[in-house]
Amino acid sequence: MKLTTVLAAAFLASSAFIATVQAQEQVNLTWQMWGDEKDAPLWQSLADLVTAEYPNITVTPQISGWTDYWTRLPVLASSGQIADLVAMQSMRMPSFYSILEPLDAHFASDNFDVSAFETSIIAGLGHDGTQYALPYDVGPWMVYYNRDRFAEAGVAEPALDWTFDDFKAAAEKLTEGENYGYAVQAFDFVAGPVALGAEYFNDANQFDVTNEGYAAAVGKFVDLVAVDKTSPVFASGAGAITGSGRFAAGGAAMYIDGPWVLQQTKDSVDFNIGVAPLPRGEGESRFITAGSGWGISATSQHKEEAYKALQILTGPKAAEILASAGRALPGRLEEQKFWYDVAAKDVAGTHEVLDYMFAHSTPFRLNEYWNEFENLITQYMPLALNGDSTTDAVLADIQNQLPF
Amino acid sequence: MTAINDVTEVTGSQKRSRWGSRLDRREGRTAFFFLLPGLIGMVLFLVVPIIASVVLSFTNWKLLGTPQFVGISNYVRLFTADPQFWPVLRNTLFFTAEYLVLNIVISLGLAVWISSLKMGQRWFRVVFFLPTFTPGIAVAIVWMLIFAPGGFFDFIMRSLSVAMPSMLTDQTLAMQAIIIVSLWAGVGYNTVLFNAALDMVPQSYLEAARIDGANAWQRFWKIRLPLISPTLFFGTVMTAITSLQVFDQIYVMTRGGPGNATATLGYAIYQRGFQNFQMGYASTIAWVMFAMIMALTAVQFWLQRKWVHYDN
Repeated sequence: MKLTTVLAAAFLASSAFIATVQAQEQVNLTWQMWGDEKDAPLWQSLADLVTAEYPNITVTPQISGWTDYWTRLPVLASSGQIADLVAMQSMRMPSFYSILEPLDAHFASDNFDVSAFETSIIAGLGHDGTQYALPYDVGPWMVYYNRDRFAEAGVAEPALDWTFDDFKAAAEKLTEGENYGYAVQAFDFVAGPVALGAEYFNDANQFDVTNEGYAAAVGKFVDLVAVDKTSPVFASGAGAITGSGRFAAGGAAMYIDGPWVLQQTKDSVDFNIGVAPLPRGEGESRFITAGSGWGISATSQHKEEAYKALQILTGPKAAEILASAGRALPGRLEEQKFWYDVAAKDVAGTHEVLDYMFAHSTPFRLNEYWNEFENLITQYMPLALNGDSTTDAVLADIQNQLPF
Repeated sequence: MTAINDVTEVTGSQKRSRWGSRLDRREGRTAFFFLLPGLIGMVLFLVVPIIASVVLSFTNWKLLGTPQFVGISNYVRLFTADPQFWPVLRNTLFFTAEYLVLNIVISLGLAVWISSLKMGQRWFRVVFFLPTFTPGIAVAIVWMLIFAPGGFFDFIMRSLSVAMPSMLTDQTLAMQAIIIVSLWAGVGYNTVLFNAALDMVPQSYLEAARIDGANAWQRFWKIRLPLISPTLFFGTVMTAITSLQVFDQIYVMTRGGPGNATATLGYAIYQRGFQNFQMGYASTIAWVMFAMIMALTAVQFWLQRKWVHYDN
């Protein structure tokens, strides 16, 4: 009897020991991310935060270029080689949500509160009411402008609620031969018309790019190039001389992009820059935002650990690191101050402009054909810009190819 | 003739005896195992993917999720409903025709010129061959920067007061830009090929023709060209095949634009498959491209009887 008790005790003790060992078992998580090689130490420092908090979890970043990332992602997912943690951009969520683990059950298990994040990007990283990723950055498309060129031309700096007519007048005044007032890019035909109050979707969330409102708004931006010659035509090829390049070289006084390029833009110019909201139409200002975050792969073997890691990677400390490095305007509201203090320090009006834009943000309407739409805009819009075709004809052509 | 008969007899007797000989069968088995590594490689990396792509072309596979069999609807859509297919096919054939003719003419011209040089032949061969071992993507990126709106080419044209639209944003000129880049990258290979063939033409033939009073023009058309025609044929077939598959330059420089001015079959496959994730549909286009290349190559082989002279 005594021996049995001893044996039972020994068995219990050993199983408890095994359980402890198992709890301490080392888990290696892979973390798939796009980016530049030079950003690798930054991502590694975030990964190290996870190990500091949970010594049994290590996170290994796997970095690839932006374009390759989106080609590789579905291939890796369908061949079962996808990483445990997966980077996702809000605009691509409708195409890829199925490869990610829904997070709502995890949130419920530890009462995780998403209200610490900016609301538009939380919505952007969900699909049909289910959350699939947590954001690390957010931002609306806004106008970057060359303050020195504005001063030289005697043009008043943009007001928060400036209209398209103000924008056009500024572009015209700032244009002088090869020195353009504005450098149009493909995405301007999405963010621009939305700010003017136009919709590219119908009520059923399907593309309707030939509707009167959208065609008129696109036409306004086309005319800046085709008629008023205030902007050069962009080429459809990848990495051609883009708006940002022209802006940095001083050849264009305004261009449209998000806060994610602010640090980089600031570093590459030798003049004072400012940011302004996109110009509005007759009605109220409204802006779309985008951002990126990380989710857990639906096929991950270590979902619990991945969820723990995800909370650290999108946590306050990580947000502070990314913001202080100027890499991202955090999706976490509290930590946005680090970005304003560092990346946006010498850029006029950043804080007011972004506050204004977040206050006037409108849901970014997307569907599974979004990627195709963007590609078609890039490919076909130059025809309207160089006068080979009309805005209506180009939009009809795009609509005709959507959805396939 | 006797030799051929002998061979047939030997093969015939071997055939007869093989069924009875256990040794032969064992040798066959051994040979099979020796050939196995190659066979496995070929089956895994060639036969299976080819069969898979045929199967895929009858499905609606979107890379993510399970494919569903959709019969011939992909093919029906391609030929009847897709507004892009015929322009893409036209662009592909246009590119192939212009590029092929220019490539063969320029590379033959360069080859003849190099072989006529008294000195520096090797040097020129290396110079013209250099682009061949430069990665296509790198070449395309450099040319893209040259042709980009406001780029080096526009600067030169402006300096010369030549008023012309920017190459990559003009519907007609964009394809010409792609052809220029392709020529720059592709002419060297054929030049070296043709130059080697020209050097193989026996001097005695040319000497004899000269003595008979043939001038340089006649010696080229009547002797050198017919003698290098097998190499010329090889160069033409290979160049035609690669030009029907053109992709790199378009991917980097124009992405098929402006509009569909430079969209070709190779780019359409990438766009449908890897940008829009319609793998089933992309496989359908790939098979149409394959059939087209097969047909054009067959036509070339048929035509060769009329103009290619083999020594024997």
